[in-house]
Amino acid sequence: MDVTKKEAPIWNEGMSKNITFIVTKDCQLACKYCYLVGKNAKERMSFDVAKKAIDYILANKHLFEEPSVIWDFIGGEPFLEIDLIDRICDYVKTEMYRLNHPWFNNYRLSFSTNGINYDSDKVQHFIAKNHSHLSIGITIDGTRRKHDLNRVYKDGIRGSYDDVVRNIPLWLKQFPDGGKKVTIASADIPYIKESVMHLYSLGIRQVNINVVFEDVWQEGDDKLFEEQLMLLADEIIDGGWYENYACSFFSETIGKPLDLECDNMNWCGAGRMLSIDAAGNFYPCTRFAAYSLRSKEPIIIGNVNDGINQNLLRPFLTLDLVTQSPRKCIECEVASGCAWCQGENYDAAITNTIYQRSTAICKMHKARVRANNYYWRKLYHKIDMKGGCVRCQGVCNC
Amino acid sequence: MIGYLIILLDHTSASFCHYGNAAGERKLMSVDTLRTAIRYAMVHNWAVQIVYPRYEVPDELKAMIETVDSCRIMPVEIADGSADVVVVDGWDFNKAVMLGKPTTLRITKSELFERYAELMPLLTAVPKLNVVITDVHKFSKADFETYKTVMKDLREKVAGVFLSGGRLSVNLLTDRLMLEQMNNCGAGDTSITLSPDGKFYICPAFYYDAPDDSVGSLCDDDIAIDNAYLYTLKGAPICRHCDAWHCKRCVWMNRLTTREVNTPSHEQCVVAHIERDASRLLLDELNEMGKYEFNSDIPEIDYFDPFETRDLWK
Repeated sequence: MDVTKKEAPIWNEGMSKNITFIVTKDCQLACKYCYLVGKNAKERMSFDVAKKAIDYILANKHLFEEPSVIWDFIGGEPFLEIDLIDRICDYVKTEMYRLNHPWFNNYRLSFSTNGINYDSDKVQHFIAKNHSHLSIGITIDGTRRKHDLNRVYKDGIRGSYDDVVRNIPLWLKQFPDGGKKVTIASADIPYIKESVMHLYSLGIRQVNINVVFEDVWQEGDDKLFEEQLMLLADEIIDGGWYENYACSFFSETIGKPLDLECDNMNWCGAGRMLSIDAAGNFYPCTRFAAYSLRSKEPIIIGNVNDGINQNLLRPFLTLDLVTQSPRKCIECEVASGCAWCQGENYDAAITNTIYQRSTAICKMHKARVRANNYYWRKLYHKIDMKGGCVRCQGVCNC
Repeated sequence: MIGYLIILLDHTSASFCHYGNAAGERKLMSVDTLRTAIRYAMVHNWAVQIVYPRYEVPDELKAMIETVDSCRIMPVEIADGSADVVVVDGWDFNKAVMLGKPTTLRITKSELFERYAELMPLLTAVPKLNVVITDVHKFSKADFETYKTVMKDLREKVAGVFLSGGRLSVNLLTDRLMLEQMNNCGAGDTSITLSPDGKFYICPAFYYDAPDDSVGSLCDDDIAIDNAYLYTLKGAPICRHCDAWHCKRCVWMNRLTTREVNTPSHEQCVVAHIERDASRLLLDELNEMGKYEFNSDIPEIDYFDPFETRDLWK
């Protein structure tokens, strides 16, 4: 018996095609860390564009061979376009049924929302109609002061915490296993411990956190980050939270040297996913759309009329760890678990390539590994003191 | 490591590869620039290739060229006995036959499909024929099938020459027989190009495409290729798993078709593998004749695009 709560598995992970509709580039908020640099209220997807995309995707099974599909809707804030989304989903379901497509009954509808209009009648009607196929994540960054540090309305002043947190109980009632995704930028570091514990106190049992991949880090951030994670480790272990709550910062598998014989895979799924914007352009991932890029041209791999240019996908589908990584990453003694975003790699690269790995998070990853080592040493010790191992708590003879 | 310097004598220097050179205005390299370039190549121990325009260059330049051993790449219009490589753009190669020099023939796929049988006089007249299909990136599925038929016929003709005791060399069929490892263009890796105004580029195509994107200049005595490893075989995931060793592996065409210099298009891979397969059958045939010894081994494979085998790569 494992005494630590594990992260909930992702639905059909590795077996699903992820297809993302960028239904709007508008949002009620203007979060300070948002990577979407080109948000606007003008670019809204029409049903005609969505229909053409769906027709193309369902008619070309040989290009989309995954046994299942995640129809993903993002923005901006996707629920601003709930009427359109409802219509798109109805069409998807009807067409998958009509075509006897293998994805019928093997699909999810996925949303990442800021949660502000989660309790609106239209959103609730949509949830009731599609509940068994839904995955919805609400973004809340932690305590009020942490959340409102970044997640502010367009006036740049008013925080959104109160408007989001009131919907958390309803969301947890409808999706009890709902996980939280939290993003950490430089200014957020001092609030990590209190934020995670706050989310636990709200009843959120799984908190998935990552530091932003962009080069935003200040001198000394890694030390502060390590301290915060160690404080968090103390709180989780001393309070016994580890039994029922999980935080993705702490993982037994990170911080090892790479075994390139076994693991030369690309970390990121760009190219194995497909994103569609309001103009009907296809992207290998949303991060390659113009509104996500600071300094590079978008990478458009096709459109709803002409389909996908397979040649433009080839670089994405042949990316591996070694080819894109500098020597210091390949030889790093704590390399495992160090992630990257292909879009950020492209945006930060000195040429127009996706083959140059950004190492902006290097120090932060190493700090995480040190705190992670502390977490597991402390947890092992506690369990040992109780007469068992961390996995079996004394049930087996290990 | 760079080992070759390709010097474009003029902005209108003849193309000897896939790129087209529509540039009309003459911009001749100065004697001073050529002198500096030759010295630069000599001190770096680089071989020199000089690409001529379609008009006679001034005597001062000719005299400067005489100061170094070089490979002189000349368009057929001005080629003479001093040419090391003659470039024929199109189908009028009578003069090249007469010159009997190693020849590069630039043609479109349609020209090749329609008139490949007429290649034999050129093939047997020159010590080496390098056929450049200029629109290789535009091959359709139907074109692949046609190309297989063309290569089968060419292979039979070439085998016939060998059978009767002759020898010939054509990149599409015989290069692969001689190779034991990748032997590609090498632009940005083993070679670098100098424009008439003294700037360095990955290859001539990069110069004509984006003259502002040089990778250094003679006067600064500096070459800095960003992400240089992407031009190497090691930095090219598809190519390093491939054994179509004769493939041009054109990094310019890679960028044109896939956006990445290290990633070839489906078309480039399939065309190279159709040639590889024809080479394999030719090798079998020649080995059966027992008269020739080739070190190369070309195993039979069941794909024409190594991209399709990517799940098997470690």
